[in-house]
Amino acid sequence: MWVYILRRILYNIPVYLGILLLVMLALRTKDPVWAFLGKRKSVADHDALEHKLGLDRAFAVQYVLFVGDVVTLSFDQESWGQPGKTANELLGDAIVPSLVITAPALLLSSLISICVGLISSFYRGRTPDRVLVILAVLGMSISFLVYIILGQYFGAFILNDKVGHRIFAVEGYPDSLTPFTWWTYCMLPVAISVIVTMGYDTRFYRAVMVEEGTRDYITTARAKGASKSKIMFVHMLKNAMIPIITRVMITLPFLIGGSILLEMYFGIPGMGRRLILAIRDNDFPVIQAFTAVFAGLYIITNILTDVLYALVDPRVRLS
Amino acid sequence: MSDPATAPALLEVRDLVKHFPVRGGILNRVVSRVHAVNGVTFDVRKGEILGVVGESGCGKSTLGKTVIRLLEPTDGQIRYEGKPLHELGHRDMMPFRRKMQIIFQDPYSSLNPRLTVRKMLREGIRFHGSVPEAEIDDYIVELIRQVGLRKDAADRFPHEFSGGQRQRIGIARALALKPEFIVADEPVSALDVSIQAQILNLLLDLKENLDLTILFISHDLKVIEHFCDRVLVMYLGHIVEELSCDALHEEAVHPYTKALLGANPINDPDDRRELEVLEGDVPSPFDPPPGCPFAGRCPLVEDRCRQEMPPLVDRKTAGHRVACWAVEE
Amino acid sequence: MVARFFRSRGARKFMANRLAVAAFLVIAGYLLVAGLVWFTGIITLEETLGRIGASYQPGLWGAQRSGKRIEDATFWFEVAQNAADRGDFETARGGVAFYERRLTGELDADEIKARVARGIALAKEVLVVEGFDESASVLPKVDEIDAIVVELFPHPEGWDAFMYGARHVLGTDRQGRSISFRAIYSIKVAVQVGVVTALFAVLFGSFVGAAAAFFGGWIDHAVIWLYSTFSSIPYLVLLSVLVYMFNDTSVDKTLIPLYVAFGLTFWVGPCRVIRGETLKIKELEYIQAATAIGFSRTYILIKHVIPNTAHLMFINASLLFIGAIKGEVILSFLGLGVKSGPSWGIMISQSKAEVVSGFFWQIGTATVLMFVLVLAFNILSDALQDAFDPKHV
Repeated sequence: MWVYILRRILYNIPVYLGILLLVMLALRTKDPVWAFLGKRKSVADHDALEHKLGLDRAFAVQYVLFVGDVVTLSFDQESWGQPGKTANELLGDAIVPSLVITAPALLLSSLISICVGLISSFYRGRTPDRVLVILAVLGMSISFLVYIILGQYFGAFILNDKVGHRIFAVEGYPDSLTPFTWWTYCMLPVAISVIVTMGYDTRFYRAVMVEEGTRDYITTARAKGASKSKIMFVHMLKNAMIPIITRVMITLPFLIGGSILLEMYFGIPGMGRRLILAIRDNDFPVIQAFTAVFAGLYIITNILTDVLYALVDPRVRLS
Repeated sequence: MSDPATAPALLEVRDLVKHFPVRGGILNRVVSRVHAVNGVTFDVRKGEILGVVGESGCGKSTLGKTVIRLLEPTDGQIRYEGKPLHELGHRDMMPFRRKMQIIFQDPYSSLNPRLTVRKMLREGIRFHGSVPEAEIDDYIVELIRQVGLRKDAADRFPHEFSGGQRQRIGIARALALKPEFIVADEPVSALDVSIQAQILNLLLDLKENLDLTILFISHDLKVIEHFCDRVLVMYLGHIVEELSCDALHEEAVHPYTKALLGANPINDPDDRRELEVLEGDVPSPFDPPPGCPFAGRCPLVEDRCRQEMPPLVDRKTAGHRVACWAVEE
Repeated sequence: MVARFFRSRGARKFMANRLAVAAFLVIAGYLLVAGLVWFTGIITLEETLGRIGASYQPGLWGAQRSGKRIEDATFWFEVAQNAADRGDFETARGGVAFYERRLTGELDADEIKARVARGIALAKEVLVVEGFDESASVLPKVDEIDAIVVELFPHPEGWDAFMYGARHVLGTDRQGRSISFRAIYSIKVAVQVGVVTALFAVLFGSFVGAAAAFFGGWIDHAVIWLYSTFSSIPYLVLLSVLVYMFNDTSVDKTLIPLYVAFGLTFWVGPCRVIRGETLKIKELEYIQAATAIGFSRTYILIKHVIPNTAHLMFINASLLFIGAIKGEVILSFLGLGVKSGPSWGIMISQSKAEVVSGFFWQIGTATVLMFVLVLAFNILSDALQDAFDPKHV
C-alpha cells in the first residue's frame, strides 16, 4: 500500500518538473520585461528590471532556483503590477477567498448531484427520471457566462429590489469573513457554480447508479421487500463509491481554477482573478508563481485521487 | 485422391513451442509465461482430416493458429510441402497464406460487421489475385452456393444471418482463396447440435470436392471420432497420444484418452461400464511442474511420471504414438 | 457506401428516434446558414461592425419608454444636424446612411436644420418641463418628435424595408450594431471553431489512439505518456500561459491562439476512447482472419479496425463540437478567443453592463441561438450513443 503511494509520488514528481519546465519556457517566448514595460522605456530600464528579477541569468540557473522557490513556497519576487507586495503575499491573500467559494461549491454540488442521480436512476425511464434528465440536458446547453450574468441580475439585483434589502451582493468581497458576510457575498456565486455543474454531474452519477441498479443483488433486495430509500442509499451508493470518488476527485482541479469566471464577475479576489489580472498587467513574477502553484495543486490532487482509489479498491493496490 | 494413410506429409511440425509472456511489475517486465504449446511434433498428411482434441486450455487452438503462423512460434519448425515456414518473412509467406486458411469458432466475432459478404470475400480474392477481376462476382456467387446459402446472401451484412449461416460464410471465406490446407478451430462448438451436423457434413463434402487437408480442432471427442481420420490428444500443451480414429476405442492406451472416451455417454442403456472419474487438479500452465503434466490426475501414476516427461514413442501399430511411462511395452 | 450505412442496425435505430432526427435537421440548418455566410457573404463582417442606428434599441420594435425614444431621436437629430452643417452638404448627405436608412433627399440643408431645431425644442420641453413619463401631455410631443425623425430619415420601402427590418428585428447593441446580424454571423464563427476543432481533435486523437493500441510496443507507451502529460497540465495553467504568450503578438488577432488551446487539449478524449475500443477489437476473430489472409498490419488497422470505431468517432466529434462552442465563450472572455468580429462569446460578455439596465436583447439572442445548437448536439450525441454504443445508459 505504501509502496503504491510512493510509486505514485515518484511518478508524479518528474511530471511536475516537466510541467514547470514547459511553463517557464513558454512564458519566456517573448521577453517578459519588454512586455511589461511597453515600448516607451529605455534599454537601461529594461536591463535593470531584468537583472532585478534574475532574468538575465542562464535559463538552467533560473529553473533550478525557481524549483527551489516552489518547494519552499517562497516567492519573494516583488510583483510588478502591485509593487510593494511579493508574489508570496499575493498568493496568501488570494487563497482564502478562492477556497471560500470552491470548497462549499464542491461539497454542495457533489451531494446534490449524487442524490439527484440516485433518484433519477431509481426511477429510471419513469417520469421523475425523464424530467430530471431533460432539465440536465437543458441546463448543460447554456453557457456558464450566461448563468453568471443572469444570476447576478435576477439573484442579486432584482431579488434585492423586490425584497427591499440586500440578500445577496451583486459583487464584491467582505473585509472580514463571518457566516453572515459569507452568505451575502459568497452564497450566490456558490449557488451558480452548483447549478452549472449539476447538469454534467447528475448525468454521470445517474449512469453509474443505473449500472449498479442492474446488478442482481439489487433485484434481490427489491424482492426481499427492502424499502426504496434503503436500497438507494445503503446498497447502491456503497457499491458505486469508486466511480463517485473518482469523479469528485477529478472535478477538484476544476474548482481550483474553474471559479476564475466567478471571481472575475463577482469581484472576488481569489487566485484565478489575481492570475488574470497579472496576465493583463504582464506581471511576470506573479504569473510564474501562480501557474506553478496551480500546477502543483493539480498534481497533488492527482496523487490524492490515486491514493483514495487504492484505499477503496483493493485491486488497484495489488497491481 | 491419395490414400491418407500413405500419402506424403503436407505439413511437418517439429518441437513446436508457443509461450505467451505475462507482463507485470513497475517496468512492465515479463514476470511469467503461459506455456501454451510445449514441444509438439506431428505430421499432417495430404488429404487427411487430422483431429486435435483436448480440454479447454490444453493449447489446441494455439497450436492451430501457430501452425499457420497466425501466431509466431516461440521455437520449433514448421514445414509446408518441405518449405520452412518458420523462417519466412512477411512477403515470402504470401503464397503460403493463400494455401493455408482458417475457420474460426465464434460466428459472432469472426465476421467484420461493417462489410457485406461480397465485400469481405472480394477483399481477399483481389489481394491474392486468385480469380481474374471480371470473374470475381460469378465466383463469389458460386462460393456462396457451395456453402449452402442463397445467392442473395452476397449483399447482406453479418448481423442479418443466424449463427449457423455465419459459420457457412466463414467457411466461404476460408475457401475463397482456393486453399489446400484448412485449420478448423472448433468450427461447430458454438452451434446448436442440429446445426452442427449440417456444418460437419458440409465440411466433409467440401473436403472431398476440393481435395482439402484439414486440421480439425475440437474438445468433443464424439465429433472427432465421426469426422476425422486420425486424432492427436493434447494435454496441457503436450501431445499424449496419436492414433487413427477407426481404432480409437479398441487401441487407445493413454489414461487420459481413456478417460475422455469414458466420459462420453453411451446410447446403450444396458452397457454399464464403469466411469473413470479423474481426481486431482490440472496443473497451472504458468509454471508447469517437471514430469508428465497428467501426473496429478493419472490413475496409473508412478514416481517416475512426476520427475521425467515421457517421450512420444511409436507403438506396434503404425501411426499410433503414446507418451506415457505406464504403458510401455 | 451511404446506403450501406443507413441499412445498418444502428442507423435504423437512430432514424426511429424522431427527436434525434429533428436535432440533426436543426444542426444541418445551422451548418447551412454558416455555409451561406461564409461562401456567399450574405452577411459580411463589415455589416456586423457597422452602425445601423441608435444604441440599445429593443428588438421586435418593442414599445419604448419616452425617455428612450427621445434619446434615440436625439441620435438621429445629431447626425442630420452634422450633415446639414457641412459646407458640401450634398456630398455629406450621400454619406449619411445607416444601411437602408438614409438622410432624405427631399429636404435641403436649411429645411433639415429647421426640423432638427423643432425636434430639439420639443425634447427640451418634455425633458425639462414635464419629465420622462407616458402621460397624456407628454406622449403627443414624443410622437411629434418621432414624426420629425421619420421625415428626416424616411423608412425604407420594398426590399430595403425587408432588409432593414431583418437588421433591426432583434435590436441594437451599445454601438448601435445589428444584434440579429451579429448573432447570425456568429453562427459562422461558432461552426468554424467547432468544426475545425472537432475535426482535428477527433481525427488526430483517433488515429493516434488506434495506432497505439493496435501496434502496441513503444508506440503505445509513447502515446500514453503523451496524453498523460497533456492531461496533467491543468487547463487553467495552459490557458493562462497561452494568453500571456499570444498577447500582443502577430497572431493575436486571428483564431490561432484559440485553435492552439483547443488543439492541445481536446485530442486526448478521442484518443483514450478509440484506444480502448481498438484494444477490444484487435482481439476479435475477424481481425485474425484478415491476418490469415495476409494483409499487412497497417492495412488491417485502416480498413478493418478504424471503420469499426467510426461510431465512437462521431459521438466524440459531436461532444467536442459542443465543448468548442462553449469553450469559445470562455476563452473570448479571457482574451484568447475571437478578436475581430462578433461571436456569441463576445456578445455575451459584452452584455453584462446592459443586463443591469434591463436590456436583454443581446444576451438573449446569443444565448438562444447557442442554446438551440448545443441542445441539438446534445440530443444528437445522446441518440448516437443509444443507437451505436451498446453500453450507453
